[in-house]
Amino acid sequence: MDLNRLVAYSLRIGVFASAVLSMLGLLLWGVGGFNGFAVVAGSAIVSALASAFMGSGSGIIYLAIAILIATPVFRVAISAAYFANARDRKYILISLAVLSMLMFALVSGYAG
Amino acid sequence: MLGPIDVLIILLVSIIAGLVGALFGLGGGVLIIPFLTLVEGVPVPLAVGASIVSVVATSSASAATYVQDHLTNLRLGMFLEIGTVAGAITGAFVAVFLPPSALFVLFGIILLYATIVMIRARGIDFPDNVKPDRLSRILSLGSQYEDHSLRRVVKYEVTRTHVTVFVGYFAGIVSGLLGVGGGIINVPTMNLVSKIPVKVASATSNFMIGVTAAASASVYLLRGDVHPLLAAPLIIGVAGGALIGTRVLKVTPPTRVKVAFGVLLAVISLLMILKGFDVPVVL
Repeated sequence: MDLNRLVAYSLRIGVFASAVLSMLGLLLWGVGGFNGFAVVAGSAIVSALASAFMGSGSGIIYLAIAILIATPVFRVAISAAYFANARDRKYILISLAVLSMLMFALVSGYAG
Repeated sequence: MLGPIDVLIILLVSIIAGLVGALFGLGGGVLIIPFLTLVEGVPVPLAVGASIVSVVATSSASAATYVQDHLTNLRLGMFLEIGTVAGAITGAFVAVFLPPSALFVLFGIILLYATIVMIRARGIDFPDNVKPDRLSRILSLGSQYEDHSLRRVVKYEVTRTHVTVFVGYFAGIVSGLLGVGGGIINVPTMNLVSKIPVKVASATSNFMIGVTAAASASVYLLRGDVHPLLAAPLIIGVAGGALIGTRVLKVTPPTRVKVAFGVLLAVISLLMILKGFDVPVVL
């Protein structure tokens, strides 16, 4: 499969999954009587993600957001693997540089 | 407190934002930010956090189509992302230190600029005799695409790559600060400075926006600036709107529609600037 198709499929699946989960989260919010969902930060997001699997509406929305943000990151990782397979050294370096900056954003965001 | 009515209104507005974004080649952010701050009274950091998440959705949904049509220059996009992602991270961190009033004024100015660029939009479409610069040759950035309206394959080269990467860093900062995609800065630069055909420039910019926005979105998310009840309707709305937009609206909007939309954007940008100067703006 060529890079164009791989990228297109992974982007579509990511957005679709995220939109469906967002809908599910909002439905559960309605079922629960529209009680306010709280904003969480830092390590509390990890527990929110875990609560998604227990059927928490706000947890499911956080899972949707996480999947959405991970979609382009995954796209960069796929490209890196593709260029590695094609032995295209310059572009392996470029995609790894972008990937490490994205990781930096995650780690530093978590710390700050 | 957000109620079901607010969420429903946000959903409807974001469908329009996704549609309009696809029609005019803008990210939905330029409409979502003013709507959330001026109409719904959402505090700036929460508005930016929700908007930047929705920008990831708009970009990924429409980028998939362009990538499959081989309109996107993947190599060029990957390379320019080094600049835009670094900028987005810078912007997301600096945003905390800027007062909301400064962000309102900056947003107004950028939006005004975007409006002028959009109305005038007279890009170089098929630049001839472009000599690739050294960077472009090393990275083999030149490519080709099939132009359906011309029914031929258009070959193109990329020049002055370093300028476009540098401007991309600036566009990334704007994106991370204001929760927009930054395409309005990237597309004209790619076209006018690097001589990339307009269709390729828009498609490639769209592709880059997803990664750019993901970088700052993760900072906003972890900081606690992404509200689930703002993000969920936005994600559903813009993804749906962009999907309809890329399918149905393949025609270029007529000039009169463009000018009308431009006037609307100009009014919004003035309202944002007024709000920045503490003039009570309530819609």
